[in-house]
Amino acid sequence: MTEQPTPTVDDLREIAEQVWAAYLDPEGVRPFLVGEPGEPATAVSASVSLTGGWHGHVVVSCSSGAARHAAAAFLAMEAGEVSDEDMTDVMGELANIVGGNVKSMLPAATAVSLPHVVAGADNRFPTTRRICELSGTWLDEPFSISMWQGRGLAEVPAA
Amino acid sequence: MSLSASDFAFVAGLVRRESAIVLAPGKEYLVEARLLPVARQAGAGSVADYLGTLQRRPDPAAHRSVVDALTTNETSWFRDREPFSALTDVVVPHLVGTRAAARSVRVWSAACSSGQEPYSLAITLQQALPAGWRYQIHATDISTEMIKRASAGEFSQVEVNRGLPVQLLVNHFTRSGTGWKVAPALRENVTFQQLNLTAPLPALASFDVIFLRNVLIYFDVETKRSVLRNICKLLRPDGWLFLGAAETTIGVDEGFERVAVGRTSAYRPRATVPAGTLGKG
Amino acid sequence: MRLILRRIVGQCGFEVLEAGDGRAALDLLGGLDTVPQLALVDWNMPNMDGLEFVAAAREDARLRDMTLVMVTTESEQSQIVRALAAGAHEYVIKPFTAEAMIDKLALLGLVPTGANT
Repeated sequence: MTEQPTPTVDDLREIAEQVWAAYLDPEGVRPFLVGEPGEPATAVSASVSLTGGWHGHVVVSCSSGAARHAAAAFLAMEAGEVSDEDMTDVMGELANIVGGNVKSMLPAATAVSLPHVVAGADNRFPTTRRICELSGTWLDEPFSISMWQGRGLAEVPAA
Repeated sequence: MSLSASDFAFVAGLVRRESAIVLAPGKEYLVEARLLPVARQAGAGSVADYLGTLQRRPDPAAHRSVVDALTTNETSWFRDREPFSALTDVVVPHLVGTRAAARSVRVWSAACSSGQEPYSLAITLQQALPAGWRYQIHATDISTEMIKRASAGEFSQVEVNRGLPVQLLVNHFTRSGTGWKVAPALRENVTFQQLNLTAPLPALASFDVIFLRNVLIYFDVETKRSVLRNICKLLRPDGWLFLGAAETTIGVDEGFERVAVGRTSAYRPRATVPAGTLGKG
Repeated sequence: MRLILRRIVGQCGFEVLEAGDGRAALDLLGGLDTVPQLALVDWNMPNMDGLEFVAAAREDARLRDMTLVMVTTESEQSQIVRALAAGAHEYVIKPFTAEAMIDKLALLGLVPTGANT
């Protein structure tokens, strides 16, 4: 089996474009803008874990303002109508979608966990290193998508 | 700087004719945002300037860019479905009956855009032709950018979701990066060329089938006539021309006769249409 | 995601029932008088995942006429083939637009016309 290159920030950017085009910015007028986020995007953080053929995590994090906008866009609601549960659900789904798309670029037999959403704290994973990160702003709020690789269990040849 | 009502109406009219998408008032911001890059690329100072020039001097290629900019991600595979069913049910059996010596079929996708049409045609022929038959799709478009894109044969998740049955997706595409790429077995039967339909056409070998869909609407009657006249010269005398759902040669070019094929219509060079046209396949 | 799908298919005229996983879905279906025309099935679910649900649904003669469409981030070729082999009729990869979902339903003959042809 040929060595698969690990996903890069350009791959994250393509996936982000798809997600924005489908759910957060279908009309193409409020895009995700890559660049310096200004403040760190850590208020709300959703992640999925990848295990099996590859080990690590995909994390989608942003400010609570951005999470609210995301939920409003996803659920076709006004920002004011969005509940905490809505934000958790939507952030979880964003991590699920990004994680799922990243997974298809990783070795076969990699599984994606259900999403885990953390609010009000920095979502950290010990013994991992950051592979790539796409940072920027959406509607002037910080937003970031990152991939982390962990030290997996002893390598077993694929079945 | 917001769009004037007449500029907006001009754009909405253009988009509606091409794609049946309705831009309701209130969407001026959308038009501004989507057309700004197009205007800049054309060297205009603003969207208003760009549209002003367009309205004074109609330019089919520019009209295409405007509609493309406002309908990205809308391009469907097997657009309208019926012409592709007609190809399978009526046209291929006819060609199999009449091209038995050469055992090959040539198709021209004459406004191929990002590639969904030529590859849909390739998939259709791949499935419909008997073993031992070859086919070639020649895909052309006025835009070099589109030709480059279509030739690469790479499509995003969002794009492959539009009108492409999943069985065909897994049979004819492979995962590539974040998206999908047309399989070599299909790709090798498609050639690409930048081509302006309103300019003198290059020498091309005749085609059995021509798809000229949703491009005539950009032209005035005189240009439509000359395009159809030139197209006809590249179509086999018993060949088939498919237009867009709302288009017709009737009243424009006497050289074609409309025939019912399946649940849609095709146009065939007049001299060779036998009495009693082919009905539902 | 269920809310988004509810909105899209609701607009097409469907009445919508929901379940959080495959097991819950089978229980729900067991108690219904009329079998739904369509099931939109995620893959990654606790208790009973989408693939298992599709296989179970196809084994049940009562659910034979229910169209099964997977809606999931799983986009590996071999996995999609597995889903089709297990009996899924169609497959929508996330992210998808509302038009794409409606197009797929039109392909299956479940709505009269596609969104933008």
